[in-house]
Amino acid sequence: MMLARVADSLYWMGRYIERAEHVSRLSDVMLTASLDTSGDALLAARTVLGAVGETQIALEGKSAVDVAAALMLDRDDPGSVIVSLARARENARQVRDQITSETWERLNLLFLRITSPKAAKQFDQASLPFLHEVISDLFLFKGAVDTTMSHGEGWRFLMLGIYLERAQLIVRLLDVCFGEAAGGEPLNDHLAQMNLLRMACALEPYLRVYTADIQPKLIQEFLLFSEEFPRSIQFATARIEEHLKALASPGLDQGSSAPERLAGRLSARLRFADLEEMASQGAGSLLATVNQDCARIHEAIYGAYVDYSLEHHLPG
Amino acid sequence: MGDTQDQDSLFPLSAAYPIDRAYDEMYDRGHGVRDHYGPLQSRISTLGAGELADRQRTLEQSFLLQGITFTVYGAGASTEQIIPTDLFPRIIPAAEWARIEAGLTQRLQALNLFLADIYGDQTILKDGVVPRDLVLGAPSYRREMQGLFVPHKAYANVCGSDLIRNEVGEFVVLEDNLRVPSGVSYMLANRDAAKRTFPGTYRSSGVRSVERYPDTLLATLKSLASDWRSNPQVVVLTPGVYNSAYYEHAYLARLMGAPLVEGRDLVVHDNLVYMRTTTGLKRVDVIYRRVDDDFIDPLTFRRDSSLGVAGLFNAYRAGNVVIANAPGTGVADDKAVYAYVPAIIRYYLGQDAILNNVETYLCREPDQLDHVLGNLDKLVVKAVGASGGYGMLVGPHASLQERAEFAQQLKADPANYIAQPTIQLSTAPCLIDGAIEPRHVDLRPFILCGEKIVVTPGALTRVALKRGSLVVNSSQGGGSKDTWVLSDPRAQAQESPA
Repeated sequence: MMLARVADSLYWMGRYIERAEHVSRLSDVMLTASLDTSGDALLAARTVLGAVGETQIALEGKSAVDVAAALMLDRDDPGSVIVSLARARENARQVRDQITSETWERLNLLFLRITSPKAAKQFDQASLPFLHEVISDLFLFKGAVDTTMSHGEGWRFLMLGIYLERAQLIVRLLDVCFGEAAGGEPLNDHLAQMNLLRMACALEPYLRVYTADIQPKLIQEFLLFSEEFPRSIQFATARIEEHLKALASPGLDQGSSAPERLAGRLSARLRFADLEEMASQGAGSLLATVNQDCARIHEAIYGAYVDYSLEHHLPG
Repeated sequence: MGDTQDQDSLFPLSAAYPIDRAYDEMYDRGHGVRDHYGPLQSRISTLGAGELADRQRTLEQSFLLQGITFTVYGAGASTEQIIPTDLFPRIIPAAEWARIEAGLTQRLQALNLFLADIYGDQTILKDGVVPRDLVLGAPSYRREMQGLFVPHKAYANVCGSDLIRNEVGEFVVLEDNLRVPSGVSYMLANRDAAKRTFPGTYRSSGVRSVERYPDTLLATLKSLASDWRSNPQVVVLTPGVYNSAYYEHAYLARLMGAPLVEGRDLVVHDNLVYMRTTTGLKRVDVIYRRVDDDFIDPLTFRRDSSLGVAGLFNAYRAGNVVIANAPGTGVADDKAVYAYVPAIIRYYLGQDAILNNVETYLCREPDQLDHVLGNLDKLVVKAVGASGGYGMLVGPHASLQERAEFAQQLKADPANYIAQPTIQLSTAPCLIDGAIEPRHVDLRPFILCGEKIVVTPGALTRVALKRGSLVVNSSQGGGSKDTWVLSDPRAQAQESPA
């Protein structure tokens, strides 16, 4: 049992944390790519801006460093890391009594560092170390969540936020490279494909499974269906289903619209997806379906736990 | 190593540490160190200016990291700031504390009896001890509370009185805070920090522990409903994250293990109060509210309030929920009623007040008003309804024009003002820009009252950080420091095994 408002804040805290980590990593890959030939850099930058849904940052006339600086530190851009972290912290402050001090201090430290007046200069002088530090701080935050918070209801809402956000971010990344958002020009450059794997933090795990044989089909197979890789959509969906099942109260049957049922259906859809069919028709329609299902699960969570109507809950 | 003095030692202090009219907590008039400050003083004197500055920085960093901040509302923007915290604890010996404890207990006992009386038979008004119009006309008097049942007749459950030490070293009461006093989280955070800053001195001094406060608070709150609910559900009601004391609300909720709720989380149905949880509605029995009377229920009090819960007061009236502190307690800490507290104590308890009041002039009385107007340059004048250092004139520090303007306000609405002589609050050593200097301090102890009264052996010491300033409020540039109440050496000897 916890306050509905608290569950809501924990859920959004998870979403914003995941978003901040993802955008930091995209910036990192883009900047690293810009050290090589300019063609790769432009492609990587396009992929990145396509994959960051909310951003208003334009590419024209900007260097990779400028774009990365804006993605990290632009307070006016809704897709930037600084905005995500500020929102994550605002949510954490709302539920300060529900999270451990260890968890709070990790996030607060990161927030204070990235909002400090010195941040822009630090980024300017050493962009890649800056990005690495932000990403490791977010790992430390997740570690503190895992090792100091009770794995009860509140933790599950936080994890739901993280995994739903992750599933949708990976869907978007794949869509930009291979789906409808690619506009009929799927990614076929070898270096660009490696960078895509890096953006999903998947390069090393991929190489272990498929060796250095890098192919769009295999990349999609891995990022969609791997049951072991924590950033695959299949993996994220399985966790979402697991957390929702644990949260569901047996007394309250919501029928087929219950969030755990929706998650179960998505999980099954991914398990039985036809790889050959996808290869011939492209990943677009499956990605769109996954995205829609995630949005529906999000709404169902609200309906069941946060924004429910009072009528059914009042005594007698 | 500990005995060698650093090159940059700040001692001896006497030249840099003027002792003026005010009583100093550490030094007597001849710059001799008072006994109870001995261990701390000798520890500090082994540390150089650089080392002390480092410790101060570490302390501030840790407050910032923990988010021990309050919100300052400026023009347009609001920012989070840490309350400036000084690293040297203020120390109170056992015998002095025993008197404070007895005095505060007596005072709260009498004030709760007074509240029960004025919201009951009003005998004290009938006997003419306190003027009827003064009480019934006070804005903090709540007619809605008349005749209601209040568990244990404990109206004020959480109290944070403001004490000051005057020029001759006597502790006197400046204000009784019976509404929603804050600052207890700073007391606990300061203690945490002091233990890390001076661990050895802390250990050897026999400092009494304040760490039981959250569980004593929870026990007090539960005792208010335990007669009719076996395991009462306690919640902390906060105005929300934008309130300047939000950190404290979250801190207490976390340490009590009670949900921190906002008005929008609560629902009243059939005069029962519920909170919206992920598994439906759950009954609430005790509300520790950190929201002012005016805002707790828009149906009963202020209609424009969005912080409260519609129908909450009816549920309270029906006896289905406890609100702590009870609505309407403010009438007993009204600045005009304050002048009558010694008479109130005598009336209900037949005792003389253990802790004295500060001499107070009621401007509602014509002869006292004349005296105040004639001595504005020597007096502090306060608006009866205001708090936090707002709406007040510090005569000796005000310009001729400020005093003239204030005199006009005074004459226009004399009943709204009281005046007190400017008292040189005692001073305590503080680290200011790398040097040790005296700063004026007050003392806010915390008293809990459910079935019984418990005075926490510790306090928040507030510090006026500007040189010479007497205003300690955090909204007006004040800071704070830890307060060490020492245990009685005889009691210690008895406790230790033979």
